[in-house]
Amino acid sequence: MQRKINKVGIFWVAFILLYTIAPQAWGAEPIYIALSGPLTGTYAEYGQNFKKAISLGVEWINAAGGVNGRPIEIVVGDSKGDPKESAALAQKFTSDKRIVAEIGDFTSTCCLAAQPIYDRAGMVQLSPTSSHPKFAPGSPWSFGIIGTQAGEGPFMARFATETLGKKKLGVLYINNDWGIVAKDMFVQGAEQTGAEIVAVEHYFEAERDFTGVLTKLRGLKPELLYICSMYNDAALISKQRAKLGWTDVDVMGPGSLYSPKLLEIGGDAVNGLYTSAVFFPKDPRPEVQKFVQGFEAKYQGTPNMFAGVAYDAINLLAETIRKAGTDRKAIRDALAQTKDFPGVTGKITFTANGDVVKDYRKLVIKDGAFTLYE
Amino acid sequence: MLVPQLINGLTQGSIYALIAIGFVIIFGTMNLVTFAHGEVYMAGAFAGYFALTLWQLPWYFALAMGMAAGWTLGFMMEKVAFRPLRTAGHMPPLLVTIGLSIILKDLVVLCFGAENRPVPSVYDQTVQVAGTQISVLQILLLGLAGFLILGLRLLIYGTKIGRAMRATAQDHEAAYAMGVNVNRVFSISFALASCLGGAAGVMVGMYYNAVYATMGEAAGLKGFAACIFGGLTSIPGAILGGLIIGIVENLTVQYIASGYRDIVAFLVMVLVLVLRPQGLLGRRIRVV
Repeated sequence: MQRKINKVGIFWVAFILLYTIAPQAWGAEPIYIALSGPLTGTYAEYGQNFKKAISLGVEWINAAGGVNGRPIEIVVGDSKGDPKESAALAQKFTSDKRIVAEIGDFTSTCCLAAQPIYDRAGMVQLSPTSSHPKFAPGSPWSFGIIGTQAGEGPFMARFATETLGKKKLGVLYINNDWGIVAKDMFVQGAEQTGAEIVAVEHYFEAERDFTGVLTKLRGLKPELLYICSMYNDAALISKQRAKLGWTDVDVMGPGSLYSPKLLEIGGDAVNGLYTSAVFFPKDPRPEVQKFVQGFEAKYQGTPNMFAGVAYDAINLLAETIRKAGTDRKAIRDALAQTKDFPGVTGKITFTANGDVVKDYRKLVIKDGAFTLYE
Repeated sequence: MLVPQLINGLTQGSIYALIAIGFVIIFGTMNLVTFAHGEVYMAGAFAGYFALTLWQLPWYFALAMGMAAGWTLGFMMEKVAFRPLRTAGHMPPLLVTIGLSIILKDLVVLCFGAENRPVPSVYDQTVQVAGTQISVLQILLLGLAGFLILGLRLLIYGTKIGRAMRATAQDHEAAYAMGVNVNRVFSISFALASCLGGAAGVMVGMYYNAVYATMGEAAGLKGFAACIFGGLTSIPGAILGGLIIGIVENLTVQYIASGYRDIVAFLVMVLVLVLRPQGLLGRRIRVV
């Protein structure tokens, strides 16, 4: 009896050992990269896009032999879009010795809250989406690859005034770090072209009633309304604008509005809305098409710009680690030297601050779809 | 832009009024303040949302669904949470309502997520009235609120259960001695209040095109404020309080800035209460 039990025991030990070793069939310790993003909450769609695109990128990198013979593994943390959470995650990631670099967070506010912690610990904080002009220059360890509002604001202002010929502009912005900067950059750019800013109004996060502020803006008669917000707010604003019957105005917003959800939530009310994008899935470049097709095959949906920049972030990091090894400092130094990295959202070359300068595409919503504005 | 803002304010205020009336009914009959009323409103909004999107029903069915959901939830809450605590004093039921509010909110987050759910537009048309463009939906919502309030009045002053409610509100022990089934009155009062809350939820969902798990927090607070503002036990007071808060908010957006709407609305309320502690239409409470 005793003997029999021992045999069964040995079998189980062998079984368990086999199971724990099997995923590491590589024989090499993985390289751990952290991801901080809003997987739940208001910005969940963006966070999920990060996760999907990065999983796809990691899958391909590992299938092609990993980085210097070692697989990449992602340690995922949910920041819920809350700066308190992103700072707590930063503490957790930087104190984990296995983690070599971090990707995230999504909102500029979350990135800025976590920045001092990555800075003190000396770990790369590569945000796919932070477009706040103060983010990347704020620390030598912070990098942003989506371009900043300092580039996009004036570009959109020229789109409004020179391309569309609008002379009286109104601005509605969300009152947070990002919204204030997006508004300031647009207003500055517009004033340089000689356009008149007739109204600047704000709203607070989590506001759902825009009828009052829209009624006020309407009374000031702008020819174009620039909305600095995320897609979900912009969709509500557009619907409530339609409900109030305010039709003699064009609506425009930065690339944050470029999401299929805007079309889904906004319906007919977002037709004619102008926006911009650094990533367009119909781009014929081979790296873009490879990514789009792989993403569609795996997730049954077209990737958006946010998936695109997240995919670029993981590939850029993998490429950097391939060159520099896994030392946190060496990764930073190599990353700062990046030049003409062929991303799906355009070529990536960091400025001295750790920012990139992007090419924007002008888009307009026609018959419920984003189309290139010509 | 004064007239459109007044209409925005009236629409919003009429929704506050419906919530406030719920507080008045519950406080009036049961002498109980509930902090779960905002969540009942949220539950009603979700019921209406599912009716509009999943089952593609017309808006009046969605409204009925929201009211039914509110009624059921209110009825159950009274049975399960308040009846056993009838003799436990003031604090325990109050704490139970706080607990219920957290449970309901988190349940919805767990089941349906924390994000905004888009509600399809019901009426996107506008009409021209005396040179001002007015949204058809706003007229509809104002009409609905008026209709519900009228119905409530008929119920309270024209039916047997209404009379029983008024008797219980005056003195529930005396009412009990006169043969009023006080337990039934409590159940129905709570359910009725919750039903109006559910209706308000559906209406606000249609108005702003969004429902979400935490929508009850601010709305519950505003409704409670409107109820105190109006005098705690006065239904006309609650209506007046709701409308004033709604209008003040929208005028603040027009003449100051969007961010100040709540500050000014509550400031006006505090001022009125300092000058008239019993509220706009409340009676001065005699302290023996």
